[in-house]
Amino acid sequence: MSKNVKGYVSFVLHAHLPFIHHPESDDYLEEQWLFEAISETYIPLLRNFKKLVDEKVEFRITMSMTPPLLWMLDNKLLQKKYIHYLKEHIELCEKEVKRTAYDSRLNELSKYYLNRYSNDLYLFEEVFNCNLIQAFKHFQDIGVLEIITCGATHGFFPILYVNEKTVRAQIAVGVQTYKKYFGRQPRGIWLPECGYVPEADKYLKEFGIEYAIVESHGILYADPTPIYGTYAPIVSPGGLIAFGRDMESSRQVWSSINGYPGDYNYREFYRDIGYEADYDYIKPYIAHDGVRVNTGIKYYRITGKTDQKDYYNLQWAQDSIYKQTGHFFDSRVKQINDIAPYMDHPPIILCPYDAELYGHWWYEGPDWLYILFKKIYYDDCNFKLITPGEYIDKYPNIQVASPCRSSWGANGYNYVWLNPLNDYVHRHLHKAGDRMVELAHLFPNEQDELKRFALNQCARELLLAQSSDWLFIITNQTMVDYAKKRIKDHIGRFTKLYYQIKNDKIDKEYLEEIYKKDKIFDEIDYMIYY
Amino acid sequence: MPRKAKEEKNDIEVKQASKVAPKATKTTTKKASTKTITAKKAATKSTKNSTIIKKVVDSIAPKKKKTPAKKTATKATKKAVKTLTKESIKSTEKEETVKKPATISGEKFSIAEYYDLPYRYNQTIVKLLYQTPTTLFIYWDISDEDREKFKETYGEDFFEKTKPVLVVHNETKGYSFEVEINDFANCWYLNVNDSKCKYKIELGRKPFEVMYNGEVTEVKTTPKITQNYIPITSSNEVESPNDHILFEKTQEMVYFKNVKDNTVTAKNIASLNFVKSIGKVYKVNDFYKKFYKDEDLDSFDKIQNPSSNSLSSSRFK
Repeated sequence: MSKNVKGYVSFVLHAHLPFIHHPESDDYLEEQWLFEAISETYIPLLRNFKKLVDEKVEFRITMSMTPPLLWMLDNKLLQKKYIHYLKEHIELCEKEVKRTAYDSRLNELSKYYLNRYSNDLYLFEEVFNCNLIQAFKHFQDIGVLEIITCGATHGFFPILYVNEKTVRAQIAVGVQTYKKYFGRQPRGIWLPECGYVPEADKYLKEFGIEYAIVESHGILYADPTPIYGTYAPIVSPGGLIAFGRDMESSRQVWSSINGYPGDYNYREFYRDIGYEADYDYIKPYIAHDGVRVNTGIKYYRITGKTDQKDYYNLQWAQDSIYKQTGHFFDSRVKQINDIAPYMDHPPIILCPYDAELYGHWWYEGPDWLYILFKKIYYDDCNFKLITPGEYIDKYPNIQVASPCRSSWGANGYNYVWLNPLNDYVHRHLHKAGDRMVELAHLFPNEQDELKRFALNQCARELLLAQSSDWLFIITNQTMVDYAKKRIKDHIGRFTKLYYQIKNDKIDKEYLEEIYKKDKIFDEIDYMIYY
Repeated sequence: MPRKAKEEKNDIEVKQASKVAPKATKTTTKKASTKTITAKKAATKSTKNSTIIKKVVDSIAPKKKKTPAKKTATKATKKAVKTLTKESIKSTEKEETVKKPATISGEKFSIAEYYDLPYRYNQTIVKLLYQTPTTLFIYWDISDEDREKFKETYGEDFFEKTKPVLVVHNETKGYSFEVEINDFANCWYLNVNDSKCKYKIELGRKPFEVMYNGEVTEVKTTPKITQNYIPITSSNEVESPNDHILFEKTQEMVYFKNVKDNTVTAKNIASLNFVKSIGKVYKVNDFYKKFYKDEDLDSFDKIQNPSSNSLSSSRFK
């Protein structure tokens, strides 16, 4: 559709899950995070991208897909476990259809879930051939999706950078993994937790990264002050282009009081039959040790500030989506009309979110995007969708300024990943980082196959220990025991191997066994720490 | 605020349980042995014996109680449970023995792992990180070897006669100040006044002073300590983040770089076309007032950032 374009809107969805791979047991509930994300976020997004392409709607979206997520999506065992998960869900839904026969509204919903999970199984096996990465890659290859990379294991740069080589390795492995799966160089990076430190610029440039996403104050508090605020990117003296999050559109989605996901017609996340159904009935579908967990089958809508929840109504939810996308659309039109006169270039309004917000937490999120994108394409308006990469190509003249050290965590800096609950971890991460650099210098370009294997495994263990997720989970007091165990396991495995390598006493059996558990980054070369 | 060091063992870096004897669970029935007490459960959940017994029983209990065939299996396994639990209660905390089950992966794992983080690395070090623009985090340690050296130089009671201090150097503004800490702590949070400054920390020790009515009445020290301050080691340098819009640094000239051909052009803000849109004013804060009418640009904690929100991928569960 031809438009009088005065500005651009850019959606960036950050898809990430920590590396969770337990071939030694089927009892880890944490593995379900991946399965829930596939069913509730990744497949719905892919389905909607396909619908938009089929309907010839021109759209643009950007997604970061982190290396651990890519590895897990590619892993045969996890694919097999996901199919198992779906089959269990389909079995449960079939029982639900019978159980809810007494109430037509509930019965309709249970049939909806049965259809949905059955359809997921069909799509996953028959259409996507169990390979969601290829499906995302397809949309990148036809030019509607720009996929960017991330740090290797989502290590938080503002804490790791006291040993810069560990930040360099996070970037190097992130780029290497991206190339492996997408067959090209990534243009942009989602800095883990949007954690920006200027010390990383040179390494980002070294590995060919053009741009990064930062928090609003990463731009607004930059030095010197950017004259266009977050409505244009800035380029650091080190040559990294930084795009900042728009506050107004963020607040419309994220506000806990009147944000879109809180609409009363939307599905209530916290009412799940995993917690509510009769125990003996639901037991085969919850945790193996009998602990109640979410099943994903939820029958209620948010309803209001009440515990008396009403049943979810698919049509009402659709109505709210239309209403809200209209509001979002009008707000952007107005925002761009207000701002454009003060700028030399058309402004860019950057809207970055966690991908898993769309679908997992905000069930209607993927449909909301679909309807919004259609509206932007068909309706008369003053803006178009764009990716940050395309914006740079159109408007390469960018103000030079140093972005502010920042993150997107509470209060905007390091608090979430460095506070009295998790600060005990950092000395271990730093020490292991120093030891890894030491190993690379003691055994450069090691020719002995076993030793090389051990050195590479050390690099894997270090990277896995550095994942910001463990620190975040400890702060949020959710799966704390699991997060603490993962830090201990990776630091423990690293340290044991460190001594085995130094003492020339590598236990091959031990090494092979921990490799089976932590076999991410097949092509890693420990010399990145040299 | 100081944080007391935990009373933990500091000599062992990594503990690893011995390899599991393949016959450890010989007493269990076939059914029982197909279920497992995973390392996860033992290590991540309560290790109280009663809990473990319950878990073992739970994990052995059949999923679908109603099937008659399985009911008999339950009975058959109950005896086995007793033997299993007794044996494994002792072992779960350190070894997590018990034969491995048939998992979806079909892979076999024979090495049981258990690790603890060491309390310290016996290394003389001070590391500095920033938590916020005005809060620094410092952790430190002095190696046993260095401790001995100080004792050799300053007397056996050097660490009793002196107290630890952190000297904070603001290298951007060129001032220093001192914070008294204590020997029970191994890390510290420190408030500083100035954001966007380079800081460096020095760990040192000072002789105890006995104060009376604000006057130094006595310096408790040994004859070997002649200085008022003994430095131990220095930290890395850290720049604290900026915490406000730098309107005070607004320049009339701004620089633009063409990222395609790397040419840089200087522009006078006043000469830019868009200035006409807002009349004669040409300060950046005037643009910002137009751009961000409804936003509080000084406080980002008021905007619920995605990652601190409950709706985050990291808190996926």
